[in-house]
Amino acid sequence: MVGSKRWKVGLLYVLAFAVLFVMVFPYLYMVLGSLSPWNEVDRKLIPSSLTLRSYEWLFQGGEDVVPRPWLRAFFNSVLVTSASTLLMLVTAVMVGYALSKVPFKGRQWVNNAILFQMFYPSIILLIPLFLIVRYFGWYNTYWAMILPKAVNLWAIFMYTNFFRSIPDELIEAAKMDGAGHFTIIRRIVWPMSRSITTIIFLFLFMERWVELLWDMLVVNNEKMLTLNVLLAQMFGPYGGYPGPMYAASVLLTLPILILFLLFSKNFKEGMQFILK
Amino acid sequence: MGWLLASPYLIYSAIFFLIPLFWALFLAFTNWNLISPEYETVGMQNFLDAFFSPSVRAAFWVTYKFMLMFVPIVIAGSLFLALIIHHLPRWKGLFAVGYFLPYLASGVASSIVVKGVISYNSPLNQFLRNALGWDVDWLGSPILAPLVIALMMAWKFVGYYALLFLAGLESIPKEVYEAAEIDGAVGWKRVWHVTIPMLYPSFYTVTILAVGLMFGIFTEPYVLTGGGPEYATHTWQLEIYNQAFEKLNAGYGTAVAIINSIVTFASIFVFRKVLEKWGGKHGWE
Repeated sequence: MVGSKRWKVGLLYVLAFAVLFVMVFPYLYMVLGSLSPWNEVDRKLIPSSLTLRSYEWLFQGGEDVVPRPWLRAFFNSVLVTSASTLLMLVTAVMVGYALSKVPFKGRQWVNNAILFQMFYPSIILLIPLFLIVRYFGWYNTYWAMILPKAVNLWAIFMYTNFFRSIPDELIEAAKMDGAGHFTIIRRIVWPMSRSITTIIFLFLFMERWVELLWDMLVVNNEKMLTLNVLLAQMFGPYGGYPGPMYAASVLLTLPILILFLLFSKNFKEGMQFILK
Repeated sequence: MGWLLASPYLIYSAIFFLIPLFWALFLAFTNWNLISPEYETVGMQNFLDAFFSPSVRAAFWVTYKFMLMFVPIVIAGSLFLALIIHHLPRWKGLFAVGYFLPYLASGVASSIVVKGVISYNSPLNQFLRNALGWDVDWLGSPILAPLVIALMMAWKFVGYYALLFLAGLESIPKEVYEAAEIDGAVGWKRVWHVTIPMLYPSFYTVTILAVGLMFGIFTEPYVLTGGGPEYATHTWQLEIYNQAFEKLNAGYGTAVAIINSIVTFASIFVFRKVLEKWGGKHGWE
């Protein structure tokens, strides 16, 4: 009986690892493809030797193709994503705090407006949003990629729910000591929400990082493209250079993976709150 | 003070939600082309045109085709992953994190990998040709092309949906299993007759999420197939993008976006009702 149970658990782990391999296989394929000799990319699963030629080509350009500004695009992505994510977090904490801990007239009305907006199909807004951005003269600027994505309704919603679970007595006590709202946010509310913040941050950052449609619409100057857009635009023309495409994919994927693995300690508990 | 703290949201919504909201309602009834200063209001013409347009009709049906492929695969896959994680005695968190990794992938990067994996001389196609004699033109087939995209998306989302199922599994009380054991339900029988019915709330959530997702596909077909072959992967978002920003029919594109939203709402509503009815029969309200 015991023997059969151990055998079953062993089989379960074999299965678990096999599935894990399938899930990470595309990443492995990407990394191997970026390090393969060019005549073996997409032809051999395991390259016979490893080379950095694809990365060199990516950053220095080739003989007959203009070097593309990959580093600049990477910088653009980092700038736009960081600024946008930071704004989304700060505004979500502020608004979430107001909606959960500061009684004011019309609060319920704001709450309802947020819910309505969350379920409103954003695709309808796409074209007029583009027109507004153009009207403001933001076309081809970082503003176009940052400001329309400076507030996130889902993040507000999550923080509002989380802050509701913080006891009012804590806030009242701080107020008695003469603390203003911003001090309370900084000293009490913010430190208490660390685990949920890491998850919200991860989701916001990731979604912003892989945004394609919007960033593609509002920017066409080569110097302003984000890495994701540049990669999408090079998909066709660089088709004959799969090695560098894999190298660029690695460049695009690595920051997110590293960030995620750094924060994954809080992953399960944070996710449990998000999925409720 | 409350209003002040909420002001970032209020200002943002005034500019980036309310104005576009009304502008869209107006645009949909014009023939504006995104550039010229002149335009006319055309009444319901855009909606009529969309109704008879082959590409809009394609987008309509393609979405359900994607659903038919994606929803069963992603539900079976994520339930399977959740069952594995749930039954592991140790390292649950580790595997949950590992299975979640695909969710982090950019659709562009995964499209590049997929294009490589199914390229003519790839190890996969070499194997199919040499061992089985199959010469598969993956993205040239109206069945395989959407299937490739559906599989890509399933790969991305299974780990995420597995967490929903996992939460459902963890919330099933032990007594239910004990009672089932007395009744003789063990092994797969138990999974089928006890676990799965108890997971109804998770099924409900995952199905609605997966169905909703199908109305917003853009990146994968845009990069990988461009909507082809013959509109086989032509999604709503692709249609709206093409009309508004390639053909510059801003008014018409907005009308299509409105139709898309109505279809989305109606479809999700129907799915909810069907699922609720089905759940109600089994004692879930």
